[in-house]
Amino acid sequence: MKQPVSLPRLINDIVDSPISPLVDKAQEADRKAIAYTCSFVPEPLLNVEGLFGVRVRAPGVSGTPMADTYLSNVICSTVRSILEFVLEGTFSSINGWVFTASCDHMRRLYDNLDYLEHPDFIHILDVPHKRSEAAVQWMREELSMLAEKLADKFNVVTDDAALSRAIDAHNEYLALMRDISDLRKRDHPPLTGAMFQALIAAASSSPTDLIIPHLRVFYETARNAPGIDDYRARLLMAGSHCDDPHYIRVIESTGALVVGDRTCTGSIPALAPIDDEGDPLTVLARRSLSNISCPRMMEEFDTRVEEIIAAAKEFRVDGVVLETMKFCDTWGVEASPMINALRKAKIPVLRLEREYSLGSEGQLQTRVQAFMESMGK
Amino acid sequence: MSIYDLKGARVSPMEQARTLYYKAEAYGHIANMGLRVGPLTMLGHLRSKPWLKVLLDCGTLFDMSTKGREGLYRQASAMALSRVVKAITETLEGVFTRPEYTVMHEDLVPPEIIYAMGLNPWMAELLGIMGPLIRSDFAERYIDVSENAGTPPDICSLPKATMGLALKGEMPRPAAILTSNMPCDGGMSCYTVLERELNVPTFRLDVPYNFYDERSTKYFADELFRAVKWLEANTPGRMDWDRLKEICDERNRSVEYQMELWDLIREKPAPLAGEALYLGHMIFMVAMPGRPACTEYMKTMVDMAKRIRAEGGALHNERFRAALWNPPTLVYPELIAWAEQRYGVVTLMDMISYNRHPYIDTKSPQTIMEGLSRIIMQGPMARHTRGPQTNFFTDLFDLYERFNLDMIWMAGHMGCKNTMALNGMFREKCRERGIPLLIIQYDLSDTRVVSPAEIRKQAEGFMETVIKAEPSK
Repeated sequence: MKQPVSLPRLINDIVDSPISPLVDKAQEADRKAIAYTCSFVPEPLLNVEGLFGVRVRAPGVSGTPMADTYLSNVICSTVRSILEFVLEGTFSSINGWVFTASCDHMRRLYDNLDYLEHPDFIHILDVPHKRSEAAVQWMREELSMLAEKLADKFNVVTDDAALSRAIDAHNEYLALMRDISDLRKRDHPPLTGAMFQALIAAASSSPTDLIIPHLRVFYETARNAPGIDDYRARLLMAGSHCDDPHYIRVIESTGALVVGDRTCTGSIPALAPIDDEGDPLTVLARRSLSNISCPRMMEEFDTRVEEIIAAAKEFRVDGVVLETMKFCDTWGVEASPMINALRKAKIPVLRLEREYSLGSEGQLQTRVQAFMESMGK
Repeated sequence: MSIYDLKGARVSPMEQARTLYYKAEAYGHIANMGLRVGPLTMLGHLRSKPWLKVLLDCGTLFDMSTKGREGLYRQASAMALSRVVKAITETLEGVFTRPEYTVMHEDLVPPEIIYAMGLNPWMAELLGIMGPLIRSDFAERYIDVSENAGTPPDICSLPKATMGLALKGEMPRPAAILTSNMPCDGGMSCYTVLERELNVPTFRLDVPYNFYDERSTKYFADELFRAVKWLEANTPGRMDWDRLKEICDERNRSVEYQMELWDLIREKPAPLAGEALYLGHMIFMVAMPGRPACTEYMKTMVDMAKRIRAEGGALHNERFRAALWNPPTLVYPELIAWAEQRYGVVTLMDMISYNRHPYIDTKSPQTIMEGLSRIIMQGPMARHTRGPQTNFFTDLFDLYERFNLDMIWMAGHMGCKNTMALNGMFREKCRERGIPLLIIQYDLSDTRVVSPAEIRKQAEGFMETVIKAEPSK
C-alpha cells in the first residue's frame, strides 16, 4: 500500500525502545516516572504535577528465560516479557510501579516483581469486576488510597484541584488522538493502523505533555494528506492488549487496512473524553470500570459484543480480526462465544492467537490473506 | 484407575465384609436415587446424561481407597466414600426432581443461602471433580468438546470439562446460576459460556483482591444481599432468615468437629489421612456445608480418629508426613494410598481442605451475611489463588508447622496459571526454610497431558533422590 504520510522519527525511536527518550528528559526536570502495566490504571492520577505515568512495554524482547523461571512458561507473554526486562535492569530508572489486580497474570507479575526487585514504590489497585455503584465507590476508595500514597512518597499534591488539572491535560491528549483516529473513518484514510498504534504506544510510554507537540505535528500533516486508496479491505482489530505496531504492520502488508482498534490499548472507546464534572476520583473510578472493555469485567459480555458491532458499522469495516494473547484465560474463553455472536450479526471474523513478540509472520499473512479472500476482497 | 499400583493389604474376612458393606451401601444410595426419581425418568436421564454411568463405577474408588489399608483406617475410608456417594446422589436427586428450584453455583460459592431460600444447590464443577476421581479419563471427552468449540488448550481443564458438559447438552439446566470471580480467571470466564449455553439468568458475586479487612467484608456482604434479592426475583426461592440461622449454626457445629479433627491429625502417627480427610472436607465442608449430614460426618471422623489412635495410627509404619498442596490429583487419586504403601508417606492436608471457617455470628441477618462473606472470600483455594502471594505461602508454611510435616508435594496442575506463576518463588522459599518440595507436573483432569504412571515416576524420583527414602518391599 502507498503511505502518504510517515511517522516522525521520534515516534519510531520511542516505539522501538523500552524506555522513551522523553522519560529521561522529564526525569532531568526532576519529575518521577511511575510505571503501569494495565489500562485500568487511570493515567491522570499518575500525571499530577511532579509525576508522569509510563505504560511499560518490552519491544525487542527476544526471549524470557529468567522470567520463565519464576512465572513459568504458561503465563501471558506480555507479563513474562516485562518481568524479563525488569530482571535485565531495563527499567531501573523507573521511580515507582502501579499494578492492578486485573487478571491472574498481572497479579502474579506484581507478586514476582515485588519479591525479586523490592521497588521503592509499588502499589496494586484492587479493581472490582463489576461496574455497579458499589463497585465505583470501592474503586474510588482504591484510587484515593493510591493518591495518598503517591503524595506521601513523592511529595506531590494529589488533591481535587491537582487531579482536575491532570484530567484536563489528559483530555487535551485524548481529543487530539480522537482527531487522528477520526481520520481513519475516511474512505481513504491517510494513515495505517500500524501508524496509529505506534502513536498510541509512543504516547502512553512517554510523558503526555512532552509527546503532545509531536502528535500535533503529525496530525496537521496527516489531515491534509491524500488518503490510501489501494487497500483491499478495511478491518477492525479487537481483542487483547496489543502495543506492537509491527504486528499490525504484518496484517496490513497483505493489503488490509486496520481502521479501528477495539483493544485496551486502542482507540475505541479508550479515547473517549473524561468527564470533568464532579469529584475527580469518582470520575476516574467510573471511567476505569466502564471504559476498558476487558473480559475480566465479568458482567459485560453483551456490551463488549455490541461495542464491536457498533465500531464495525462506524468505521465501515469489512471484517473483524479478533486477536487474543496466548495463555490469556479471559480472552481465551470469551473469544468463542464472541465470534459466534459477531457472526450472528453477519460480521466476518478472523481469530488469531498471538504471543507478545512478533513471530510466524508468514503464517499471519497467510491467515489474513485467506480471510480477505473469504470475504471476496 | 491404577489400583494395580497398590498391593492388597492382609485383612481379616470381617474387615473385608465391612468394606463390602459400605460399598453395597453406596450402591444402595444410587439405587434409592433411581427409585425416588422414578425408574423411567431415571432411564431418560441416563440416556441424555451418559456421565451418570460413572456413578456405577464408584466401586473402583472404594477399591482404591481400601485395597492397601487395614483396620479402622480402612473402615473409615470406606465409610467416608459411602457418605460422599450419598451426598452426591441426594444433590442429583434434587436436580432431577426440582429443576425449577435448582440453582447452579460455582464451586467456591458455598450453598447456605441457596438452602435457606428453599432452593437446590447444584455445584457446576462437581462432575468435573468427581468424574476423574472415579474414572481418570472421565473429563477428556468434555475437554475435547470444549476445545473443539474454540477454548484454548491452555485453559484449566476443570472449567473446560464443565463447559464441555454444557456444550454437549449434558449439563442439567438449572433455574438460575450463582457464580463469582473465584477461584481464577478461567473459572470465572467459563460462566460466560455456561450462561449462554444453558440460557439461564446469572448473578456474579464480586470478590475483592484484598479480603482480610472489614471494608471488603462489608462490600461482599452487600453483594450477598444483592444476590438474595436477585434470586428472589429470578427463582421461586424466598429467603427464610430463621432457616439460614439454623444452617449457619449447623455449620458452626461442623467446624467445631473439624477443628478437633485437625488437632487429632497433628499427632504422630496420624490417626487419619487420605480420602477420609480430603474428600470429606471437599464434599461436606466446601461443596455442601451447613447440613446435619456434614456435622454427622465430621463427628464420625473425629470418633474414628480417636479409635484409630488407640490402634496405633492410620499407618502403623508412618515415616513421613506431607501436604498435597493445590487441589488433589483428580486423575490419579491412588497417589495418596500408593505413597502410604510405598514410602510410608501420610497425606494430611491439601489446599481445598485447609479452609478458614470463622464461626458465623448468627444473631442477625447482617452478622450472618458478614460471616458468610468472610467464609466465601477466605474459602479454600479462593484465598490462595485470588489474593497476593502471601496468602498462598503464609498458609502453607503455617500448616507445615501445624501438622508437623516433613515435605510438601505440590500438585502442579499446568492449567493453574495462578500457582504455576508462583513456582519459582515457591522453590526459593522452601529452600530458605529447608523444606523438601516436590512439584508434580501434571494436568488436573486430563491424563493425556501427563499420565498417572508419569506422576508416580515423579514422586518416586523425589522420594528416592531427594528424601533418600527406601521403597517398601
